[in-house]
Amino acid sequence: MRKLIIVPVLLLIIFGVVQFIRPPKNQSADHLATAITERYPVPADVQALLQNACYDCHSNNTRYPWYTNIQPIGWWMAHHISKGKKEFNFDEYGTYSAKRQRNKLKRMKEQIITGKMPLRSYTLMHADARLNADQQRLLTQWIDSVLAISGHETR
Amino acid sequence: MATMAIAAVTFAACNNNQSSHEGHQHDSTAVTAAAPATAATDESLATLTPQFTTIDPAVAASLKQVTDHYLHIKNALAGDNSAEAANGGKAMATAMEQLNKAALTPEQQQLYGQNEDDLKEHAEHIGKNEGNVEHQREHFAQMSEDVLSLVKAFGGGQPLYQDYCPMYDNNKGAAWLSETKEIKNPYFGSKMATCGTVKAIIK
Repeated sequence: MRKLIIVPVLLLIIFGVVQFIRPPKNQSADHLATAITERYPVPADVQALLQNACYDCHSNNTRYPWYTNIQPIGWWMAHHISKGKKEFNFDEYGTYSAKRQRNKLKRMKEQIITGKMPLRSYTLMHADARLNADQQRLLTQWIDSVLAISGHETR
Repeated sequence: MATMAIAAVTFAACNNNQSSHEGHQHDSTAVTAAAPATAATDESLATLTPQFTTIDPAVAASLKQVTDHYLHIKNALAGDNSAEAANGGKAMATAMEQLNKAALTPEQQQLYGQNEDDLKEHAEHIGKNEGNVEHQREHFAQMSEDVLSLVKAFGGGQPLYQDYCPMYDNNKGAAWLSETKEIKNPYFGSKMATCGTVKAIIK
């Protein structure tokens, strides 16, 4: 009988303790010279879409929903963001080689068109990150314009 | 009667030309007919020689490994073998980590730097995407551009053929490198194994 009580109590204590182990937040006030916005013109409507649909995992600034303060959700989120930033970081765009910059944009376009990005698991919780057909077109046209500019630079 | 004779000579010349270069001994009609066929032989193939002549032996060995892993991936994709391609990708990423960049000349460093981060990313993604051969091929198309730049600069450790598949990615086309003259298309695998053309040989 006593064993039946010990297990849930122990779990509750562990749950309580892990709340104090918080991962550092992905937030920075620095305006980096390597940011894509410093390299190419980004119209306000495009910027708003990028911020809503991409920047949480692909920039140095994440908007954290309240539930990420609960562990282990916060840990899982931190892991997810670090993976996303390693793949592509809008704030560190300028640190990539010219070739990688162009290839990144081409694949970004591909991922948007095929609906692979933003991830479904993300849009499930962030309704404003879902891109409709018009928004997809706005983003892919912007990518094309950047590719055209960067093509002239490298030639 | 005359037309038939010319046709016969032309036919013979074309046939001849498949196995040897003796078509030129016949009359002028035969020579003109044979010209397109000779265009595909080795002598008329553009021959490229690598840009750098002095390369640190350790660097050359590392780059040879990178190229060999590239060919491994290429052959795996031509055989529709996603797991093998993934192994090749992982091995290439490791080989790149072991390359001693300090031994490169400033000029070589610049060229390597133009390709390094992009190539490494493609290698890692091909390594991670076992089971998704089409995604591996997307990365392979961009990877081939990087390896082509490196091989044109440093050489491939062996003569390599620069091939081209005009149909890949909705007819946008894509290049690849091969150690054999025979076409084995890595972009379509068994669906279109022999589709593609040889553009040049890099010695």
